[in-house]
Amino acid sequence: MNFAGFSLRNLSPKIGSPGSAVIASRFASNEVTFQTRPYKLHKLDSGPASETTLTKEDALDYYRKMQVIRRMETSAGNLYKEKKIRGFCHLYTGQEACAVGMVGAMDKEDAVITAYRCHGWTYLLGSTVLEVIAELTGKISGNVYGKGGSMHMYDKNFFGGNGIVGAQQPLGAGIAFAMKYRKQKNSCFTLYGDGAANQGQLFEATNMAKLWDLPCVFICENNGFGMGTSADRASASTDYYTRGDYVPGIWVDAMDILSVREATRFAKEYCNSGKGPLMMELATYRYSGHSI
Amino acid sequence: MFIRNVSNCVISRNGVCSNLKNALYITSRRNLASNTQTMTIRDALNSALDEEIKRDDRVFVLGEEVAQYDGAYKVTKGLWKKYGDERLVDTPITEMGFAGIAVGAAFAGLRPVCEFMTFNFSMQAIDQIINSAAKTYYMSAGRVPVPIVFRGPNGAAAGVAAQHSQDFSAWFAHCPGLKVLAPYDSEDCRGLLKAAIRDDNPVVFLENEILYGTPFPVTEEVLKEDFVLPIGKAKIAKEGTDVTIVSYSRGVQLALEAHEQLKKENISAEVINLRSLRPFDFKTISDSVKKTHHLVVVEYGWPFCGIGAEICAQVVETDTFDYLDAPVLRVTGVDVPMPYAATLESNALPTTAHVVKTVKKSLNIQ
Repeated sequence: MNFAGFSLRNLSPKIGSPGSAVIASRFASNEVTFQTRPYKLHKLDSGPASETTLTKEDALDYYRKMQVIRRMETSAGNLYKEKKIRGFCHLYTGQEACAVGMVGAMDKEDAVITAYRCHGWTYLLGSTVLEVIAELTGKISGNVYGKGGSMHMYDKNFFGGNGIVGAQQPLGAGIAFAMKYRKQKNSCFTLYGDGAANQGQLFEATNMAKLWDLPCVFICENNGFGMGTSADRASASTDYYTRGDYVPGIWVDAMDILSVREATRFAKEYCNSGKGPLMMELATYRYSGHSI
Repeated sequence: MFIRNVSNCVISRNGVCSNLKNALYITSRRNLASNTQTMTIRDALNSALDEEIKRDDRVFVLGEEVAQYDGAYKVTKGLWKKYGDERLVDTPITEMGFAGIAVGAAFAGLRPVCEFMTFNFSMQAIDQIINSAAKTYYMSAGRVPVPIVFRGPNGAAAGVAAQHSQDFSAWFAHCPGLKVLAPYDSEDCRGLLKAAIRDDNPVVFLENEILYGTPFPVTEEVLKEDFVLPIGKAKIAKEGTDVTIVSYSRGVQLALEAHEQLKKENISAEVINLRSLRPFDFKTISDSVKKTHHLVVVEYGWPFCGIGAEICAQVVETDTFDYLDAPVLRVTGVDVPMPYAATLESNALPTTAHVVKTVKKSLNIQ
């Protein structure tokens, strides 16, 4: 098919948003270069790249992963309504680009620790969909033989799955401490929500991370709500990427997976150069409630 | 390693040999016929930490004042000078934060020794101790072991009032996933601290501030670098036939003093030093009660839901009950927040006289 004369603008990949403008594409190649969404910076002179190249292979991989997570979470929701999943079930529906984008920039020896909205992460970091759903339904074929459940799933360099809001913040700094102790060139990506961003232990953790130059990336997945309370009713400042004060921060439009990936690459390079911790705010949204 | 001052380093009352400039642990030699050496608790802990830091690269100590200040109670004296910033880490006064960091480091395979200046401050970090450290090995079905030691002084000190005097033994002993140790003398401290550091589980190591300066006899065996005591095994400190007195930590001192006083009145008391609260060596207590038929438990903490209460329950639930000739009696601290005034404080705590009186009550003697 001959695309000559067909405006490249119409190849905008995103529905419902101005979208990343396609800069260049050679139809015979397997690569496209996109512009990333604008970042906001806190105490940084320069930020992540404004352009990124996406290969066909990666595009299909990211798309597949996001779809799998979306469908897995939808099934989990249905299973919960059928009472096959008990207790809590915190769905990642809508936030897929955060996890998939970050994993696209991480390497195998980086670590991740998050809170209880962890099913998508568990899938991305080593478990099959079966192992996740089996865990949710309490089967021995589950990620941790049914002993953990929705909130407590683990893998190599993936430290859960943590039920107590904010507890993972100093834990993540501790994992980063171990990486520095062993002189590894890796980072620990420590995720928390906009609700957990107000926890005192976050400030304790960022203080020590900054004091000791720990390679910890503190990432606030701001989906607009802490449980049932909107962010602006819980936080005196909703600029979560600035809340690290002396820790530099980046705000990312996390509905755009490539922006997330680029920001994560920047964060990795920043921490690996020994500059200490970084804070990121991923502006995202969840389509379900806090839990079902 | 040791600096032995053979001639006249008589142990001062608080056990610190002040003529020593080098900050290494010391032993003092008292020239008895049997050539016994003594060592203070402080030195026992210091030497154990020193040897374990040397032995395993992954071991490090963190807490308030542990490095440059040589330790708030001088337990880590000399270690920072010897091993540096990497192995001895001074933290800000943020227990929840640094305990969490320590647990995270343990998740990632290091072996932290997290010091709480006293266990009163562990309450600020209790979520990290229980929910992050104690439960993770189980929740992760064994994927994530947590080889951490939380140590520090526990229980009443002297004149520090209500917020700084609580005994947390029952609180921590309650929780599956933790190991909880309560050493008494220097042998206990050396052997159990080494065992705790080498154990792959989270261990709460409850020391006692009042005893830090007290010297105790130690054999050559105890001074060896690989001297390790088994976790979960009680020690029969004194054998006896008329009554069993069970205690742990500082309570053992009261039990031993009571043993001496009772001996003068021809009462033979068997004294059990629990050493370990979780796992708990009930068998040693049971075997003893089956022999003596009388049981008195001594603890410094509050009575309600205390260690004595647990011992009573276990006695009643087993055939040990059938061997009792009297109810199990407890000597505990008084159920009040610790008062400040010296007379009030001493009246809120158990004494040797209380133990003797309770033993006699158990034996129905005046």
